[in-house]
Amino acid sequence: MVSNLAKGVHLHVLPTKKYKTIQISLKFKTPLKKEVATKRTLIASLLEVNSKKYPNQTALRSKLSELYGAGFGTNVSKKGSYHIFSVSMSLVNDKFISMESNLLEEATDFLKEILFYPNAENGSFNNATFNREKEKLADDYDSLLDDKQTYAKLALLRLLFEDEKQQVPSIGMKADLESITSESLFNDYQELLANDEIDIYVLGDVTEEKVAEVFSKFEFQDRLKKETPIFYNEEAAATANHQIESQEITQAKYNLGYTTPVFYLGEHYYSGQVFNGLFGGYPHSKLFMNVREKESLAYYASSSLDTFNGTMVVQTGIDSKEVEKVKEIISQQLIEMQKGNFSQEDLQQTKSMLKNNVIQSEDNPGSVIERTYANHLALGRVINTEEWISNLEQVTKEEVIAIAKQVQLKATFFLTGGTTK
Amino acid sequence: MKKIVYDQLEETLYTETLDNGLTVTLLPKNEFHKTYALFTTNYGSIDNTFVPLGKEEMVTVPDGIAHFLEHKLFEKEDGDVFQKFGKLGASANAFTSFTRTSYLFSSTEKVKENLMTLIDFVQDPYFTEETVNKEKGIIAQEIQMYDDEPDWRLFFGLLSNLYPKHPLHIDIAGTVDSIMDITADDLYESYHTFYHPSNMNLFVVGKLDPEKMMQEIRDNQKKKQFSKPEYIVRYFPEETVEDIKAYDSISLSVNRPKSIIGVKGVKIPPTGREGLAYKTKMSVLLSLLFGPTSKNYLELYDSGLIDDSFSYDFTMERSFHFLDVGSDTKEPEKFSKTIKDLLLTAKDSHELNEEHLSLIKKKMIGQHLQSLNSLEYIANQYSQELFGEATLFDMVPIIESIQLEDIKEVAAEFMMEEHISIFTILPKGE
Repeated sequence: MVSNLAKGVHLHVLPTKKYKTIQISLKFKTPLKKEVATKRTLIASLLEVNSKKYPNQTALRSKLSELYGAGFGTNVSKKGSYHIFSVSMSLVNDKFISMESNLLEEATDFLKEILFYPNAENGSFNNATFNREKEKLADDYDSLLDDKQTYAKLALLRLLFEDEKQQVPSIGMKADLESITSESLFNDYQELLANDEIDIYVLGDVTEEKVAEVFSKFEFQDRLKKETPIFYNEEAAATANHQIESQEITQAKYNLGYTTPVFYLGEHYYSGQVFNGLFGGYPHSKLFMNVREKESLAYYASSSLDTFNGTMVVQTGIDSKEVEKVKEIISQQLIEMQKGNFSQEDLQQTKSMLKNNVIQSEDNPGSVIERTYANHLALGRVINTEEWISNLEQVTKEEVIAIAKQVQLKATFFLTGGTTK
Repeated sequence: MKKIVYDQLEETLYTETLDNGLTVTLLPKNEFHKTYALFTTNYGSIDNTFVPLGKEEMVTVPDGIAHFLEHKLFEKEDGDVFQKFGKLGASANAFTSFTRTSYLFSSTEKVKENLMTLIDFVQDPYFTEETVNKEKGIIAQEIQMYDDEPDWRLFFGLLSNLYPKHPLHIDIAGTVDSIMDITADDLYESYHTFYHPSNMNLFVVGKLDPEKMMQEIRDNQKKKQFSKPEYIVRYFPEETVEDIKAYDSISLSVNRPKSIIGVKGVKIPPTGREGLAYKTKMSVLLSLLFGPTSKNYLELYDSGLIDDSFSYDFTMERSFHFLDVGSDTKEPEKFSKTIKDLLLTAKDSHELNEEHLSLIKKKMIGQHLQSLNSLEYIANQYSQELFGEATLFDMVPIIESIQLEDIKEVAAEFMMEEHISIFTILPKGE
């Protein structure tokens, strides 16, 4: 069921008795702008640590403990041309608790406090909280780069897109942090509350009436529908962009970025899924079989699609001196895909793996909400599992070959251990 | 087949020990689409010195062999078992820990075929020198991937300080050098010693019919011949308090320092339900001292000594138990000193009060119930089988029964200065 709490604020109730939990997720979306990712990551940190009523973490976390260890968190992500700010809670279903309780009502009261009454005064966030979280976020950016897989992934992102907004990861970047003040951020937050399009999901053993009633207390105002298309599409490059960097590391990372015509639930979506599964998505894929199993060159060598911006990324962890060989194998395997050098059996196996994945995702309440939201973003309606599977089954070998021919290398990033001879 | 009903949780377990010694446990959850099966041997990276099946002399095998065996068990004369699972629409995987090796699949169709595939491939080893040698390059890359992960290095740095002789300090996958020595014969020797059905358990959860599935498993096992179960003799070096290294540090190419502090458990902990209760008490103690509802946490956080990477854990497995508290921190020395002081004064800590305890218990019960949403979590926890009859479904009454005095008692007994060690990672050039 969908109802509107205000114009542009949609409440989706998904009743089910399957889980021992009730999952609540509020998703705020805004078109990507420069600095928006960094600002909203900082907002996410601030809302997670305290509020007016719960002025420090002890108070806030004690409240959650009283709600039988309710999970609460904020998160940021990117979907194509949009930045998504999420606030989620997970509650244990009351019926498993010996004592009388009304967790849904208490949890939504808590969320209301967090969202509408942050720790702020006179048009700015509490200074002590703001300064500490800003400093911590700066440290987080440093720590993140200590993970070399992430480092290489982010470096590739910068090469893969010409649009600066797409180059910035969903969590933003250190360079954008400096100019943010507690006043400017508070204004940004007011804008988020007033203007973002909002989707609220409640999944679990609940009734539509009860959920509608508890959320009616939220003070959302009408807002305009966002007109920016959800999908981001960038041209393929005439020549690929290559970059090498040397660091003191044991294992080198060689990552490649491609443009694809594969967009979420679009014309090429299902054939794109099969293509990716066969090329580098599964243990029977070309990349896994050739880079790892045949040549013993890597522990991992895989591909993944981002179907909101039409890209594919290949990630490998290898010995620096083997990079030319790995490069050659990857490009050869794409050619094999283009030539149709895979069997009907391979095709069928990939489809059954994809089918298995999509059915299994229904067993996880978080995945159900994510998929429903992605459906809403892309189509404005929900594609049920049967429909999804039936579309998948219809994919032909020729369609997969056609995708392979449209996949184009746009950038490579090589983080070397410095032992290249 | 034994049936155990947990009314409050609305769960029913079916369990049976087969004639060959294999323990099978089934947990139907028919509102789920998938079936998840975990086939586990009580054998992990620390079991590197033992008396091989049918022999009398103790042998020491190359480091990393349990993990190597896990990789190689997937390869058969007629190809890779991954592919077989793939054709049956299942995802398969495996993992090796200090004390366990587990093989698993999850699928939404052809459950019987997948389950038989799982049991058969684990019970039918095929190792040749050629396939063993080919795997060395892959595992070397896996080891090197972990070598670049600072948190992994931090954890093993601490273990090396606390357990300098016990094989716990050795990386689960071994080293690039040690795996080069592994031969097909080594794999067979370890396999035959540790993969006897009596040393293994099979846990299946999700969409399933318990009667029918148990019969399929019995039929499968009846067709196979196994030697008589033998008690496995394992050897672990003796360690004394003097062996513990109080401090060590390394420099890596990282931006931020990291520090971890650990306390080694030296007394043999209780077994059975008491063991699970002991482990739970230690977890409650750590939550009281360092959890986000503690004033300690707030002070550490507000003073900038810790950030979101701050974590604490109590680990208890076959032949060892320890606690650890770690974080990325600007001031590793100040961090470790502060944590050490809080640990040593734990039994008198202001955090240990009735109100705080009842809050933590409430939180733990709720979080425990929420975790029962995950079939993977249930299977992984259950397959630890460390506590005899007691299982994760006994957690709620165990948590409810914990009293403040219990917590003070374990705090007083566990926190000894001479059992503490600190390990730090510093950025290169500092």
